[in-house]
Amino acid sequence: MLQLHRHPHIHTRHHHQITGNEPLIALVGQPNMGKSTLFNLLTGLNQHVGNWPGKTVEHREGHFNFMGGTVRLVDLPGTYSLTANSPEEVITREFILHEKPDVVVAVVSAANLERSLYLVAELTALNAPLVVALNMMDVAAQEGIQVDAHILEAALGVPVVPMVAAKAAGVHRLLKVVEDVLIGKVIPCPKSPEVRPDHQQVLDHIRSLIAQHVPDPYPQNWVSLKLLEGDIEVTRMMRQALPDADWNAVHDILRQHDDAYMAVASGRYQWINRLLSAAMSRPRKGQIGLTERLDRWAVHPFWGLVILALILGVVYELTFAIGAPIQAWLDAHLITPLGSLAAIALSTAPLWVRGMIVEGLIGGVGSVLTFLPILVIFFAAFAFLEDVGYMARAAYVMDSFMHIMGLHGKSFLPLFLGFGCNVPAVLGTRVIDSRPARLVTILIAPFVPCTARMAVIAFIAPAFFGEKAVWVSWGLVLLSLSVLVLSGTLLNKIFFKGERSAFIMEMPLYHVPNTRTIGLSVWQRSISFVRKAGTAILAMALLVWVLSYLPNGDLNTSYLAQFGKFLEPVGRWMGFDWRLMVSLITSFPAKENIIATLGVLFGSSAESGLADVLAANYSTASALALLVVTVLFIPCISTVVVQKQETHSWGWTLLGVALMLGLSLAAGAATYHIVLSMGL
Amino acid sequence: MLEKLLAEIRSGGTQEIRTLAGKLGTTPAMVAAMLEHLERSGLLKAYQGCSGACPGCSLKEACQRSDFPHGMRIWQD
Repeated sequence: MLQLHRHPHIHTRHHHQITGNEPLIALVGQPNMGKSTLFNLLTGLNQHVGNWPGKTVEHREGHFNFMGGTVRLVDLPGTYSLTANSPEEVITREFILHEKPDVVVAVVSAANLERSLYLVAELTALNAPLVVALNMMDVAAQEGIQVDAHILEAALGVPVVPMVAAKAAGVHRLLKVVEDVLIGKVIPCPKSPEVRPDHQQVLDHIRSLIAQHVPDPYPQNWVSLKLLEGDIEVTRMMRQALPDADWNAVHDILRQHDDAYMAVASGRYQWINRLLSAAMSRPRKGQIGLTERLDRWAVHPFWGLVILALILGVVYELTFAIGAPIQAWLDAHLITPLGSLAAIALSTAPLWVRGMIVEGLIGGVGSVLTFLPILVIFFAAFAFLEDVGYMARAAYVMDSFMHIMGLHGKSFLPLFLGFGCNVPAVLGTRVIDSRPARLVTILIAPFVPCTARMAVIAFIAPAFFGEKAVWVSWGLVLLSLSVLVLSGTLLNKIFFKGERSAFIMEMPLYHVPNTRTIGLSVWQRSISFVRKAGTAILAMALLVWVLSYLPNGDLNTSYLAQFGKFLEPVGRWMGFDWRLMVSLITSFPAKENIIATLGVLFGSSAESGLADVLAANYSTASALALLVVTVLFIPCISTVVVQKQETHSWGWTLLGVALMLGLSLAAGAATYHIVLSMGL
Repeated sequence: MLEKLLAEIRSGGTQEIRTLAGKLGTTPAMVAAMLEHLERSGLLKAYQGCSGACPGCSLKEACQRSDFPHGMRIWQD
């Protein structure tokens, strides 16, 4: 129970009674503080909505029965401050100053006092009879926030009434306080924040210069503050009100202190900080405490990276341990028998029809679709980490890492997006203002292994490396990130010489994941993949089959074989035959085409699953080289198109493609020869 | 307080709100409130999630549900 009269700063009188005119009460507050809920609660149907004269801002006004009569209640527009930055701010302050409400009720959120007290800080300078409605006490309690209304009241010098407007709790107490103010039983004496000490003299000087010229009803101190803040309306008003000599003096002071806006706002935040240090406590338990404890490790410059690497390892382990056997089973027990069945069913059909369906459609697209289980697990792990709040930490840790290596700070977010898809990664570079930095980020973004590349790795790695596939995949991710860092460092040094930029991140709290959210994310991403398999990958699989069939139906003399054999000399550096070279080339439209093409090329000879056939046809050295080339190879065509769109230059786009092509072939060749020399 | 925050931001690099709150001797919520103030004043730009890279992204539908507070907010000078 609030005992207002206990506080010496709130003067009390007992001889006034409400008489005469209908009292006017104004509700003010920042958006989403529950002001409108309170307005509706008090006025019910006795309200009308229109616009403020000459403005498109909504004007809500109503009446309610109170103290044996009626009271006029005006719901002022939601506003963050009282500086003339928007029509809402001007309407609010002009209404309070000109209409002089009998009571101004400032609705603030107990769950977000840091933000909502800023407006109160401004209101205290208007000399209005202020009452603070401390709303959303229930939300604050849920978040573990404890607000001592008595202390807040003593510090503010105005009545503070805790309430929950949404549940109509505390409204009677608020009305009782309003009544006390109306009858003069309580007279609020707001305590205003000071301007930052180094600007106090400047404020005093301005106040003395304008003292005799401030028009009614503007308070002198408030006008001085607004002049310091650079308020356009107040500056214009005082330009007209002041004699030239005084205006010139004021203008000179303002010109010399162009940082005064910060001094005024800073003083207010300092004031809020002091108030809340005394009146509010946030026990570090529950989600906040847990988040702080976990983040000591998760965002640590070193341990954060170790944790990220471990989490990546666990994700791949899960993906392979659960997904790879399902994929292998689908390949051996669904796609292969389906191909055989189709071959029998189509035995009387023309050869090209049978080939196109069995090898092109089932062998190509079918093979790609078998790794849907792997992707579902990968997407689920991704969505889980996103939903518990870890992904933001991963981004932060990666950013610190990139700084160590000299990469640009603004580059981390687009690069991080690349883990999903390189296209938004390139588009995401729009956050980078500096053109050289943006160009470098666009060029290195495709080195981030996207889900399509990871899907190909998830298919090929278990085929050759069995249980060691986790380590191989983990190593491939590290390899591509290392190449990214090295390329970025090199390009950074060439283009923007270690320039640093600023970024502030607000991490979400860790929380229990929502299965529906995760399910929805997995569903949407999986559907997107299936749709791609049914369009772009299907088209490429059919084109590859046609080229492998023409001109005479023999694969070894087909156009595709001729093209592959033309490229084979380059492939030999990496232990690739023409089939692997062709598969690699077809990954340009979409990365998954590597599998579809291999499915088409080996489909006719496959008596077991494609993975087994590949393992039987290629050495470990060739397989590892193929994986290395795949993670570093030129990006898909969609990424190249957006690279061109974002750089507005074919030169830069082709440089990026050439860089990746050269690096991937060199790394592939080196891998092949190193593994061979190890006797594997 | 506000100018100290701005000075920290302008010193470069990436910082997390809780770290900044520790440096300024206040709470993360207070720092967030000041960052929002600086954003409204036009001194900082704020981004959520994909930083406006959503148009043309195939993952748009999947990403947009993970908005703040489950996602992250980023301010830059």
